[in-house]
Formats: sequence, structure tokens, C-alpha cells
Amino acid sequence: MRSVASSYAGRMRPIATLDGTVNDEQKPLELILARNLLSSISTPGFLVDEHNELVFYNDAAAELLGKRFEEVGRLPAEEWSAMFGPFDDGGEPIPVEELPLVVALRHNRPSYARLHVHSLNDERHEIEVAALPLVANAGGFRGALAIFWPIHDGEGTAA
Amino acid sequence: MKIKIWGARGSIPSPGPETLRYGGNTSCVQVTLSDGTIIVLDAGTGIRSLGLALAGPVPRINILLTHLHLDHIQGLMFFAPAFRPQSEMSIWGPEAPEASLRDRIARYISAPLSPVEIRELPCDVRFMDAPHVEWDIGPARIRAASVTHRGPTLGYRITEGDTSLCYIPDHEPALGTTLGDLDRAWISGYDLACGASLLIHDCQYTDGEYPDHVGWGHSRMTDALMFAHRVEAERLLLFHHDPLHTDDFLDVLHGSAMTGWDALGGDSACLEMGAERREIELAPAQAR
Repeated sequence: MRSVASSYAGRMRPIATLDGTVNDEQKPLELILARNLLSSISTPGFLVDEHNELVFYNDAAAELLGKRFEEVGRLPAEEWSAMFGPFDDGGEPIPVEELPLVVALRHNRPSYARLHVHSLNDERHEIEVAALPLVANAGGFRGALAIFWPIHDGEGTAA
Repeated sequence: MKIKIWGARGSIPSPGPETLRYGGNTSCVQVTLSDGTIIVLDAGTGIRSLGLALAGPVPRINILLTHLHLDHIQGLMFFAPAFRPQSEMSIWGPEAPEASLRDRIARYISAPLSPVEIRELPCDVRFMDAPHVEWDIGPARIRAASVTHRGPTLGYRITEGDTSLCYIPDHEPALGTTLGDLDRAWISGYDLACGASLLIHDCQYTDGEYPDHVGWGHSRMTDALMFAHRVEAERLLLFHHDPLHTDDFLDVLHGSAMTGWDALGGDSACLEMGAERREIELAPAQAR
């Protein structure tokens, strides 16, 4: 349990109690719906919460990343980014703050990138990533959702 | 805490000889707290009869709206206390980005849908977004949380002492997932309903009807039961009956529900179908 004031100073739909605590367990509805959507599609997708913690990716993403989410579990941004090592065409690591999910979350705007990841079974994939922030009806960030797509040899950059 | 059902129907009023026992009025539940404070859950057409029952002077009436679909607000314009100058009403509901709660309700209580405008109501009425933190009404603590339905929709939990009522009349928690093996943190409404003394929950569809209504924001019977099982509700009242479901049909559905509840390890005596005018008293834990 954390202080309401420190972590949900924005327009947070409850789960907060009068004694100033908030339940960390229950996910906000917007994340629940996003996860349910990702669970229902075969487009690879990745979900982070408002603290930039990885909270879910679907089975289609697991095929690219090499492990199912249940095997990896929740991870802070520094860990999930390092684990999949997004890097550019030159093989240089892409700073966390430039990753589409992080841009979506920190700057409240959609973001796109073409980058490389290495899977947990040591395969490399070039992917396109589009991320968007999840903003609740009543305002306030709930997290960000990223859809990514593998680029196969010979495919050009999407327009 | 005393509870009285004034409307258990969903979608649209469905009066007629085939709905006499369970009733045809839409969602409205009266909660009377130990000090006499009245809380009204939703203002479907059932609230008209409640208003007539509140004939004498009454303390401030607190109305908690889960959402603004017509079957949950249609009775407001026919709620007798709203037309008494001495009445005091507080109305809470979900916030939405495009307009205040008052302005959104005024879309219904205004021309051409209504002969009366909100500003013409003689009572003292206040409209408020449901707070983001718990708040008190009389001796009860109220919690509101967003739940899976179409549009901004809340469920409510009313706690007085160690007794709690959770009310989620419109809810499709199994949309895009299965509740049986889902981590509880990812179940819509879980915290709200966890361990409730009584859970009043959506059960609009049979399992056979549900595939044609996926995404409409309502539960099939097995999902309602599984939700109640997962949150470990002490008692379950199935609610928001489909307007096509006659009394005889609901009797059969009740039988199926008891079988399903029993299979989940529940006590069938703790499961019932919402029926108009049904009264339930929730006793403190030590008396249960």
C-alpha cells in the first residue's frame, strides 16, 4: 500500500481509501481492457502501467520475444528494455527514454520507431513499434500500449 | 443495513402478466442505514414506486448512479420527492470528459424528452461526480470504481460496520478473458466486490444467449457466478434481468444458477434472483 498523495495525485478512479492508502493490486479498468484486447488478438502487443512497469504482453509478442509473459513477469522499464535490448541499425542500444512506449507515457503522445530486439532465445528481430498512451475518461495516465510488427528481410520501412 | 429492490429489470421496463413476480421496473435499490439514512442505487423506473413510498418528511436522499443509460435514470423525472420544495437530494454519478453530471442528466430532463427542466425542480438537488476516494454518507463508507461496461460506468460498495453491499448491475468482467484462472488484480470490479456480505450483480443473459451479445456490457450466468465465486461474496443476488425473460424463464434460470453455484462450492441458499419489492436485511457479522 502506498500513499495516495505520492502516487495518485492525478485524477485517479478510486481504489483509494480514506486513510490515504491505495491498493496496488487492482489494476485500473483501462489497463484491464487493454490487456483483454491484447489477449484476444494475434497482433503482438506490449502493455506497461503508469509507472512504466511491464505488466503484460500477449502470446504473439511472446513468439518474438522468446518467452511467455508468465515466465517473465512484471518488470520495471530498465529491466524490460535491457532484457530485449532494443538497438538501432548500427547495433547501438537505444536509450530507454527514446523507446516508443516510454515516449508515449512520458510525453502523452503516440510514438513510432523501427528498431531491433533480441529475443530471450537469442534470436534477433527487426520490428516496427507503434505506441500510444492510455488516458482515462476522467483524465490521468493509466499506462501505454505498444503494438509491434516484425519486419522480414527485404521489407522496406513503412511509410 | 436494509435493502429493498424496487426494480431488477435491465434495458427497458417490461410490465405485463408474464413479469409479475420478478417485476418489470428497471434498476433501483433502496438501502436504509442504521440511522435511517437513505441511499438509492440507480434511478430506473423502480424509483417511481420508491418515491411514492417516501410520502412523509424524509432526510436527505442520496442517489448513486452507476451510469447514465436510460434504464438507470428514467425514473428520476417521476421521483415524487424531487417535486417537493422541502426535499434535499444528492446525486452522484460517473464523471465524463465532455460534460458535467448535471448537464448529462439534463439531456434527458429537458425538452423535447421532458416537459420539466432540471432547473425547474423545486427540491434542493446537488449533482456530484463520484469522488476518487472513499467518502461517507451517514454511518456508511462508500467506494466507487469503474467497471467493464459500455461508457463510463461505476460499481459501488457500501460498508456500514462489518457489513457491506456491492452493487454492480451492469458488468461484463469476462469480456475478452476467462475469469476462472485470471489473476484477481486483472478482474474488473474485484476489489469493489471482494468479500461483500451481499453482491448484487448483472446476470442479463443465459449462456446460450450470450454469444449474440458479447461486448454489450452484460454478463452471462456462468460469468456472474464465477465473478461472485472469485470475489468470495457471501451472498449473491442476480440482477438486471433481460426484458425478454419471463417469470417462468427466470425460475428456470434460477435453478440453473443454483446448480452452477453448487458446483463452485457455493451454498444455494445464498443465491437468489432479484425480484421487485424483495427486502433483505444484512445483519452484522457476529449475528450471521
